[in-house]
Amino acid sequence: MSALLETKDVTIRFGGLVAVNLLNLTVNDGEIVAIIGPNGAGKTTAFNLITGVYAPTEGDIIFDGIKINGKRPDQIAKMGIARTFQNIRLFKDLTVLENVLIATHLNVKTDFFSSVLHMPYAMKEEKKMKEFACSFLEETGLIEHKDDIASSLPYGLQRRLEIARALATRPKILLLDEPAAGMNPKESVDLTEFIREIRDKFHLTIILIEHHMQLVMDISDKIQVLEYGRTIARGIPFEIQNNPAVIKAYLGEEEIN
Amino acid sequence: MDKKKVHIILDIVAIAALIGFMFWANASFNPYNKRIFNTCCIYAICALSMNMVNGFTGLFSLGQPGFMAIGAYVTAIFTVSTADKVSIYKIIPISDFMANLSAPFPVALILGGVAAAVFAFLIGFPVLRLRGDYLAIATLGFSEIIRICITNMQGVTNGPTGINRIPSHINMWVSLLILAVIVIFTLAMMRTTYGRALLAIREDEVAAQAMGINLFKHKMLAFVLSGFMAGIGGGMLASLVGAIGPDQFKFTVAYEILLMVVLGGQGSVSGSIAGAFIVRIALEKLRFLDEPIPALGYPGIGGMRMVVFSALLMLVIILWRKGIFGNKELSWEGIGGFFKLIGSIFHRSPKKEVSE
Repeated sequence: MSALLETKDVTIRFGGLVAVNLLNLTVNDGEIVAIIGPNGAGKTTAFNLITGVYAPTEGDIIFDGIKINGKRPDQIAKMGIARTFQNIRLFKDLTVLENVLIATHLNVKTDFFSSVLHMPYAMKEEKKMKEFACSFLEETGLIEHKDDIASSLPYGLQRRLEIARALATRPKILLLDEPAAGMNPKESVDLTEFIREIRDKFHLTIILIEHHMQLVMDISDKIQVLEYGRTIARGIPFEIQNNPAVIKAYLGEEEIN
Repeated sequence: MDKKKVHIILDIVAIAALIGFMFWANASFNPYNKRIFNTCCIYAICALSMNMVNGFTGLFSLGQPGFMAIGAYVTAIFTVSTADKVSIYKIIPISDFMANLSAPFPVALILGGVAAAVFAFLIGFPVLRLRGDYLAIATLGFSEIIRICITNMQGVTNGPTGINRIPSHINMWVSLLILAVIVIFTLAMMRTTYGRALLAIREDEVAAQAMGINLFKHKMLAFVLSGFMAGIGGGMLASLVGAIGPDQFKFTVAYEILLMVVLGGQGSVSGSIAGAFIVRIALEKLRFLDEPIPALGYPGIGGMRMVVFSALLMLVIILWRKGIFGNKELSWEGIGGFFKLIGSIFHRSPKKEVSE
């Protein structure tokens, strides 16, 4: 089986700093892969490379058999890679529904003028987009907040809204950047359940960056560990938990017996 | 009766009141006041043009004077009669082709808008790659370049002398009609998915792009529409004033429009219109400050109105940082809320009502 997403020796340098060094990540269809590592290890940079925010200095990123390095983020989003952000980036002044509606814009078929003239076809599509967006809000339990301003939501719901918005682009792969950051233990248990649920419901492949080890170990099929831009380990959760290099670099020797 | 019905009735009443006002104003306004009204409408269109880019899309562009100039010159060249054009162009005679260009006013106006939009499209390629202040400087620069070109293209634009004897087709009804069309267009557009995409860019460019929005394409859309509107505004100005020259389209015009947009609230159609009317009317009605007032022993200082006006503006901006409307629109709920607020100031009820 060929991988859905594959990075081949991907490297990016910012001046003298090698933020990501020879990253080889293989993600198969339907997997949940976690990228972990200490702060500054290059995890978010890896996401930015995959989503086209940065172009790699060296190496290739292959998605669904197509080379995507050098493409713009919006082109990559259209191909089916959606993401959330480490420090939530919602459209703050817009409503919850509008946030999700914007994510459906990339599939819009109506041209600008028919849209402005409110032609019947355009209105039909607009209605369909609204129904589609509402279905995601229902899935994520945000439907009763649909007319609220995004920034007025509590933190946990803002995270959920970001995921709902990403899902509305109909991705094949969803990249979650620290989805459990700032959540209490109960919220992160809920989140674990929620991530599994959406994976199954939308046939997603998920890559996540996370510091919350319980969540990572519970949910991941594979884990890749970065330190200073390099991959120091990869494997199933059990292997990672017992890998001496990882324990030394990241988890701390006291914590794991 | 449900809210929606009430609002429709209120809408009809408001439109009827506006038409009533127009009949009354047309009959009783003196030419000076009529002209103020027309200028207000024209500047409202220019403010809406700037709001499209600055308010909705979150770009900082100051290119309006250049686009207005293009609209004004195109409209002028198409509406001034052949005989007049031949006699106006003294230094370098006008070419036969240009002299024979002629179109009815509505067509000429639209041509002006289209010409400005085409320029916006061309300028958009280099400048829309810039962000923030850099974009403002670049658009301001292009606007000045357009003005300098107009000054020097003697054979086409009649240079620094400008073009006069432009027939007037602007009256209060025409001004209001064109403004209404542009307002309806803008409001209709902002309800579509394309409008939402512009708002997304304003809110967060990075997130918008990650959601699959082609930034350049959508910024260009806003920029071209904005150019078109400014071109229309410029064409109307040419027809209202009757004479145009490059000096009317200096960069200070951009600041004046920016002032209207910021005062009204960036991202609000109601705000842009209110801003334009307030600024234009205030500038005219404060003229008495420049004249001596013997009763108060005030000698009359030239330019005093600008000082007072600027002070008033600073006050407004300090009190309402987001402008009069913020990024909201005028709505019946909003008006209701405003009167409730006023009411609560005058009738402090002993028990505080908790709203939702």
